[in-house]
Parts: sequence; structure tokens; C-alpha cells
Amino acid sequence: MGHGEEVSPSLLVRDLRHRYRTPRGELVVLDGVSFDVPAGGYVALTGPSGAGKTTLLSLLGGLERVQSGHVEVEGTDLAGVSATELARFRSQTVGFVFQHFGLLQTLTAAENVELALALAGVGLKTRRAASRDLLGSVGLAGRLEHLPHQLSGGERQRVAIARALANSPRLVLADEPTGNLDEESAANVITLLESLPATRGVTLVVVTHNHAVADRAATRLALRAGRLEGLLTPPRSYL
Amino acid sequence: MTWADAFRLVGRELRRRAGRSALTVAAVALAAALLTALVTIAQTAQTRVLSEVTTGGSLAGIKVAAAAPDPTQIDRDNATPGPPKPLDDSALRRVRSLPNVDSVYPVVSVPVVVLAPPRIAVPGTPANAVGSGVPGLGPDEPYGDSLVGVSVDQAARLPITLLAGRLPTSTNEIAVTPDFLDRLHIPQKQAATVLGVTLEFGFPRGFRRGSSRSMWLHPVIVGVAAQDAGTGQLIGTLGLAETGRDWILAGGAASAASFGLQPTTYTGLFVIANRLDKVATLRNRITAVGYSTSAPEQLIASVQRYLRVVEIVLAGIGLIALVVAALGIANALFAAVRERRREIGVLKAIGARDRDVLRIFLIEALAVGAVGGVIGVALGAAVAASVGLAVNRYLASQGIAPLHLAISLVVLGGAVVGAALLAGLAGLVPAARAARLPAREAVESG
Repeated sequence: MGHGEEVSPSLLVRDLRHRYRTPRGELVVLDGVSFDVPAGGYVALTGPSGAGKTTLLSLLGGLERVQSGHVEVEGTDLAGVSATELARFRSQTVGFVFQHFGLLQTLTAAENVELALALAGVGLKTRRAASRDLLGSVGLAGRLEHLPHQLSGGERQRVAIARALANSPRLVLADEPTGNLDEESAANVITLLESLPATRGVTLVVVTHNHAVADRAATRLALRAGRLEGLLTPPRSYL
Repeated sequence: MTWADAFRLVGRELRRRAGRSALTVAAVALAAALLTALVTIAQTAQTRVLSEVTTGGSLAGIKVAAAAPDPTQIDRDNATPGPPKPLDDSALRRVRSLPNVDSVYPVVSVPVVVLAPPRIAVPGTPANAVGSGVPGLGPDEPYGDSLVGVSVDQAARLPITLLAGRLPTSTNEIAVTPDFLDRLHIPQKQAATVLGVTLEFGFPRGFRRGSSRSMWLHPVIVGVAAQDAGTGQLIGTLGLAETGRDWILAGGAASAASFGLQPTTYTGLFVIANRLDKVATLRNRITAVGYSTSAPEQLIASVQRYLRVVEIVLAGIGLIALVVAALGIANALFAAVRERRREIGVLKAIGARDRDVLRIFLIEALAVGAVGGVIGVALGAAVAASVGLAVNRYLASQGIAPLHLAISLVVLGGAVVGAALLAGLAGLVPAARAARLPAREAVESG
């Protein structure tokens, strides 16, 4: 897509504000954040601890309700959806990758991937086949029946990526996906994640403290104290 | 998420926290065991007490006398019969055809003359003791009594409780009652000492010129049994009693009456109603046919009321235990929700709805309750059986018939379902709390 071409953005965020009530009063976490990300874009979200990165990720992924402002993901206005619609949105439009992997310890690698499909109502046979394919695509064909504690950190995160891709989401949100990994595993995981926009056409948002990772992103959003401090790739006009 | 998926997930989770799951299941199992054991013991005690009230046989049994009803006695448990009235096969058929009749058993009581039984050695008494009133010896003089003839193959349904040995099966055999033992000064717990003894008795018959002769028999005593089917210390087969009746009546009605036998085919009937609550109705119907009846219905009703109170108290203790166990389940689930906040957040992040999470935690509570209930019911039945064995050992040492454990499927099923439902109820609040946890928990640190 070239400059000047009108494309519907994957993410459309306007004047997003968010605050939490704490025993010591209200804490403003996001204060008027606005940005767009095109479909298939790759965004690195950086900033110091407490800058509001995780809250922004939660709002983009429908983990939390929008309090003020406008968040539109793949054409869905997240401010006006019901709890059930939000659950469906999380199931079918978004894929999450967590720093802590978020795998259920009692389920095998294949079953963890299948769980996301089961929650979307996919039948047993279909999801078995899909989980095999997905784990194969992340290089874990030989680890289908392994429990999380039998896998290395890098392998667990690849299972989490396979699970995130299970329902063919349009948006993948990764919250410090290499935070718990050694250098080599981190490089492999980042390579895998970075390939997703090109191979699957998904929009990728990665929260990271790793400058090398952030530098490779098409767009880098730098948050500080709830405000967007830097936008290294200038947003294009989509509307 | 389907129910099957939720069950699979819960199964894995329970196995992961095997120690805590086992403790929670054990608490439910113990409570269910206590409930089952207490209710089973209470019900057994109730059956036993009611059986004692009716001296064995069916609780729904009605005694019909060969007599017309006395209008002033109709509602009494032990109604005094009116004037004698023959009870023949046609009367038996009429009674049998009445509504609410389960079965009808004829009873024939005939007068007998019993000769002094031979010496019976009773352990613990002097072997050479002589004289009436000394344990181990029979009466010195012949005495008059009655033989009660019944269908011994149906004894389990008649008001007969076997205390030692067995019931007679032929005309060469006889059973005696505890009153017979009393006459011989033999303690009931040593009832077995009379088994195998040959008894000599005769059916008396009047002849012309005021003389009388008896048909003498020498049956062997094969059992000791308490009975309330008729009046008499000897129990024989129906055939033996009928033989005696025909012999006595052959001497003429007046002669038979002088020995206490009215001209009737049967001296009584034992009628069993098809339901305990139909006893009163059936009694009225038999009275309408024209016979005097008696049944311990009012006594049973009173005893039932008292025993119901005992049962409620015991069930209450069991229920309190179940409630305590349910609180244990709630506590365990609250702990699980606290520990699994992030996992619940992850489930929601990948698409679980509130009701999916609610379902998972409710199934966990129900599963713990159901498994605990099943184990508890088995344990409770075993405890009740053990108590029953100990009680039976004691009863046997006292020469009293053993009790049969009243293990009710309703109680067993009710305990399992009750434990599961109570556990489900206890799991509602923690499950609802888990369902309300925000999806953001998935990305919270810690």
C-alpha cells in the first residue's frame, strides 16, 4: 500500500483516556492517546514501567472496557459492545501472547491450542487437526503431547503463539513476549512474531523494552506517563 | 465451551491439585457417610421397633378372628371379639377378594394336652436338681394348652419371629414359644437347649358317657419362635393343626366346645394390607364382611411418630456435617479462585465468557460433592453394616432375633445427590466471583 492510498485502519484510537481508582485517589494511566495502525502493520509499544503500555494493550484487546475516547479494532467500536460480544471479539479477532505464556499447566501443548478453538465452538476433530497444523507451523510438531513444564521457555511461548493464531485473528497483541526468555529463544520468538504480518496478514502490536525489537517495527509508539511521546513512523492518513 | 470440554478441564485441574482435592472430597465423604449411617441406623431401628410392636410379620397385618365384631371394640388395636362365627373357605375367599388385600393366611389353633417333657439339661444348673420351679426341668403334671397351625413356608409374612432353630416342616416336628420356655424355667438366651427334645402331646376328644381320649403325638422340637398368629405355646404346620381340629370336632360340637374349640374351619386369618396406610380401610371392610379384627395400627402410628423425631434429629446431625463439608468446598474454591486469577484472565483473554468460567467452577464443586457423596455413601453403608453386625452379636447373646439392616436406595441416592447439590450450592459464590474476574487479570503482574 502506497502513500495517499485510502485503507481502513486495523486500529483506530482517538483521544483515549483511562484511569484507575486507587486508595490514594484516581490514577490517570492513559491521557489522550490517538494513533492509527494499518491492517498488517507491525507496531512496537515502548515506554518505562507505569507508562500505560499494558493498559493500552488491554484496551486494544478488549480485556478492559473503554472509559473515554474511541477505540476501533478491525471495524469494531469497542466502546459499544456487550460482554458477550467482547468475549467473541477476544476469541475471534484478537490473539494474545503473554510474557508469562499463559498456558494452562494441566493441558498438553496441543490441548492448550485446542482450548482457544473449543471456546470458539469448534468441533473436536477440526480443532485436533488445527492444533497439529499450528504447532507444526511454529516448529513444535514433536511436542504436541508435552505439558508446559516439559517444554523450554521458548517452546512454551511458541505454543502460546500457536494458540493466539488458532482462530485466525486479525490482530495479535504480545505483552513483552521475550521478557522471560534467554537471548536465543527470544530471537526465535521475535522472528516468529515478526513474520506474522507478512505470512498471515495480521496486525501485530508488541509491547517491548528491547530497543532492537522496537527498531525493527514499522511503527514505534513510545508512551510516557500515559501520553504518546513519540511516534517514530508518522501515521498516514487513512480517512 | 461445551460441557464435555468443561468436564475435561475440571478433571485435569482436580488431578493437578490432588492433595487439596482429596482433602475436600474426604470432608464431603465423611459427612455423607455420617448422614447415611445415621439415617440407615435410624430406619433399621424403626423397622425393628415396629417389628417388635407387631411381634414380627408384616406391619400391615390384620388379625381376623372366627367371631363377629363387637361394635364397641371396632376401633381398638386389640379388639375383644364378639360371639363366635365360623370362618370357612368361603369367608376366606371373600376376604381375599377385598380391595387393598395383599395376601391372606389361615390360622388354626387347636387345644392340646401336653405331657411333662423329659428332663432338659440346661448349662449352669445342677444336673440332679429335682422339683417344679427348678431350672432345667419340665412341669410335673400334664397341662392344657394350644397348638397354633400356620403355613410355615409363609412364616416370614406372619407375626412369627424365630429365636432359635427353625420352624417345623412336617407333622413330626414342632416349635415352641418363649412362654413354653418360661414354663420350664429355661432362660430365653438358652432357648437352643430344647432343640431336639421329643415332646408328647395329644388332641383331646370327647366320647359318649363323658369319657375322653386323645390322639397322642411325639414330635421333635425343632425351633423356638415368638408368635402372635394365635394363642398357644406350640407352633406346628397347618396340616398338623387341621388333623387335630378334625379329630376334636369328630367328637361333636359340644364336646369340642368343652375343650375350647368352636366348630370352624379356621380359627383366624392373618390378612396383609397392600399398604401400611390402608390398614384402617381394610379393617373396616373386613368388619363389614362380619368378622372381628385387630391390628396395632394406633400403636404403630404412635411409635412411628416418636421414631420419626429420632430420625429427623439424626438426619439433622448428618446434614450439619454436610453443611460443614460444603463450607470446606466453598473455602477450597475461594482459594482456587485466588490462586487462579491469572489463569481465569487468560481463559477470558482467549474467548471464555463469564458463563464458561462459572460452569467450570460449578462443575468442580459438583464433581467434588458427587465423588465425596459416592464414597461417603459406600462408607456410611459399611459403617451401618458394621454397627449392625455388632448389634446382632449382642442380640444373639441375649437370645433375641437379629435385625436386618434397612439400607434404603432412596437414602443412598439422596445422600449422593444431596452432597452434590449442596456442594454445587457452596460453589455458587466462588464460581460467581471467578466469573466476574476481569479479563485484565491475564496481563496483571504477579
